[in-house]
Amino acid sequence: MRFLVGYTATPAGADALALGVRLARSPGSELDIVLVLNGGERATLTPTDPGYDTFLLEAAAGWLAEALTLVPAGISVHTHLEHADSFTQGLLAAASRLQANLIVVGAATHGLLGRFAIGSVAGGLLHSSPVPVALAPEGTRLMGTHEPIGRVTCAVGTKPGANGLLTAGIRLARTVDAPLRLVSLVAIDRPGTDAQAIQLAADHAQSVLDYATEHLMDGLDVTASVASGSSVEHAVRGLHWDPSEVCLVGSSRLAQPHRLFLGSIAAKMLRELPVPLIVVPRDFTATVGE
Amino acid sequence: MTLEIDASEAVEKSTGGISKKGLSAGSVGLVGAVIIGISCIAPAYTLTGALGPTVAEVGLQLPAIFIAGFIPMLLVALGYRELNKAMPDSGTSFTWATRAFGPWVGWMAGWGLIAATVVVLSNLAGIAVDFFYLMLSQIFGNSAEIAGLAGNPFINVGTCLVFIFAATWISYRDMQTTQKLQYWLVGFQLVVLVGFGIMAFVHIANGSAFDPTPVSLSWFNPFAVSSFSAFAAGLSLSIFIFWGWDVTLTMSEETKGSRSTPGRAATLTVIIVMVLYLFVAIAAISFAGVGGVGVGLGNPEIQGNVFFALAGPALGPFAVLMSIAVLSSSAASLQSTFVSPARTLLAMGHYGALPPAYAKVSPRFFTPGYATIASAVVAAGFYTIMRFISEDVLWDTITTLGMMICFYYGLTAFAAVWYFRRQWFATVRNAFFTFVFPLLGGIILTVLFCTTLVDSMDPNYGSGSEVFGLGLVFVLGMAILLIGVVIMVVQSKVRPAFFRGETLSLAAPRYGEQDE
Repeated sequence: MRFLVGYTATPAGADALALGVRLARSPGSELDIVLVLNGGERATLTPTDPGYDTFLLEAAAGWLAEALTLVPAGISVHTHLEHADSFTQGLLAAASRLQANLIVVGAATHGLLGRFAIGSVAGGLLHSSPVPVALAPEGTRLMGTHEPIGRVTCAVGTKPGANGLLTAGIRLARTVDAPLRLVSLVAIDRPGTDAQAIQLAADHAQSVLDYATEHLMDGLDVTASVASGSSVEHAVRGLHWDPSEVCLVGSSRLAQPHRLFLGSIAAKMLRELPVPLIVVPRDFTATVGE
Repeated sequence: MTLEIDASEAVEKSTGGISKKGLSAGSVGLVGAVIIGISCIAPAYTLTGALGPTVAEVGLQLPAIFIAGFIPMLLVALGYRELNKAMPDSGTSFTWATRAFGPWVGWMAGWGLIAATVVVLSNLAGIAVDFFYLMLSQIFGNSAEIAGLAGNPFINVGTCLVFIFAATWISYRDMQTTQKLQYWLVGFQLVVLVGFGIMAFVHIANGSAFDPTPVSLSWFNPFAVSSFSAFAAGLSLSIFIFWGWDVTLTMSEETKGSRSTPGRAATLTVIIVMVLYLFVAIAAISFAGVGGVGVGLGNPEIQGNVFFALAGPALGPFAVLMSIAVLSSSAASLQSTFVSPARTLLAMGHYGALPPAYAKVSPRFFTPGYATIASAVVAAGFYTIMRFISEDVLWDTITTLGMMICFYYGLTAFAAVWYFRRQWFATVRNAFFTFVFPLLGGIILTVLFCTTLVDSMDPNYGSGSEVFGLGLVFVLGMAILLIGVVIMVVQSKVRPAFFRGETLSLAAPRYGEQDE
């Protein structure tokens, strides 16, 4: 797989880079570090200055070189300087050009309430990316780059989009060689009488487990569980989280086809999750074997 | 536009392969360039700040002085353009003067530029404060109480600090208005100023003008000014009104279309601005006269900010439009002005003329963050001190500003002449653009600087503010330059590399020779 890190020389950028490196450690994976500078296409009150632009390019090259020093040897890594009107546009352009499979960004630096506050960068991406977006929470960098991904959790519902999500989860688990945990959100996803809902969720969990086992021919460890609770927040808190795992959720049904849109459940999970969240677009079409 | 860098040779490859075209090539058309030019000159703000002090010096000959003030500006700007072409660098005057004359002169040129822009920042914010309260009072039924709030030094300084803080935040985060909004703001500014002029003439025709003064040809005669001192003082003020125009000349890199676009944009900008200045100046004088009472332009009470006083009598119920025009013009100008001291400080930090912290670029917003904040702090401090020691802070800052512009523009002009000394006569074009024009411009500005300096020692100079029995403007000018010298000497002890010419060397390339 090809992982693209949206980098800035800030703590949030270091968070993103640390997660990107951990994801891209396995053989055959590639890491692209992309720094986006302002493009000249926008109107400005302040006249542009070629001297300053040159200076900025030097600074950017310095930041990228610095980023490279954080990447351990043995990982196939490239740095890119992109010019675009916004960070989001630059990352999307780079992702489509490089055919990246996943974009990694730092979630935010100032989440006052809850762990995640979606910054404007992550927010913009989550509303428009055609490929999955991983959000590295504040402090991911502190874990370092050597910790392998401990587990891939896939939070699946029965709503449309769950299949693409499952495929992405299986693929990622195979790439990073980690056990896959499937968590059914059906119990909270669908209001109903308790017994009925739990039975439904158990059935659902079993069915996705069957599907996953079928596709994990190479014998990866896969488990399934049911998230329960009166609210998403409750359910998330009730699950056990390994600090080194990542969690995948699907994007909202409100999203345009092939675009991400953070649904209400995903948004609530984002606030509660202690681990990186990867949002997968609705009808994401990668195949397991790809 | 992408730079792909291999992990192993990231630094070498990226610095070698830098293409500055990636950022700003071909992004501005003719109209866009004119809009940026007008926006940087900020005619509404400039006129309200400069009309009064200039009338105080030259009286009715205001139009003549406005025209004359353009000449040294043009001469220097031509040299500026040559330097910008040969050595594009965000340090502008600082870098160029260092390359031409060495570190000491270069340092002082950079200091002059920073001082001038910091002074204008505080003046801009001060004018914005006046108009902010005027606008509030106009909105809430012309309450004199609200308009009078601007006169309370504590409220005034407090509001001004808020404005400076807001401008800093916007600059730091590099929040830019869209091109469309910018077109509207500039268009609005022009319409209001022209409307003001038309209304003034309507009042004159109706006999309802404050002090109708018939237009006469002698207004255009610079030789009718009473003395050379007055002429020089007026001229240094009127250089200020064209300050900012030079950006249109140096936009050559990013204008799209033919090679002649920047030249045409600069010409068009200056024609629009000149016609506008003359029209508004003539209308204002005809309407209010140059008498010393009421809204007469000779009244020291109103000279620091004339539209503040004239908008009501001339525009009546539409006076609020003038407040909005001046406010938006000040806001645009605050934003474009903030960039230049910050970039110069950044370059000085980069070349080791100041602590390296100044060379920091914000990794999130890609702006010279530290330098931006430093300029804001100095501008805020300067305004606060001035508000409490000066009788007429706006007037005195504008006069000081004129002097500072003469200082660093003069040095820049001479830097152009000296840097290009080996190619003066390589072509006829070079003879004019690298020798005759900048040399003349430099001489004119030096004469203006010296005359203003000597005259301003008189405690009655300008607004009549004085300290230690000397004119405030003189004390300010000298204090700014001396502080610069002190900091320079300290820096030369702490960071000698720059002062030994190790980071930025002297140069005088021959014709066709590539520098560096």
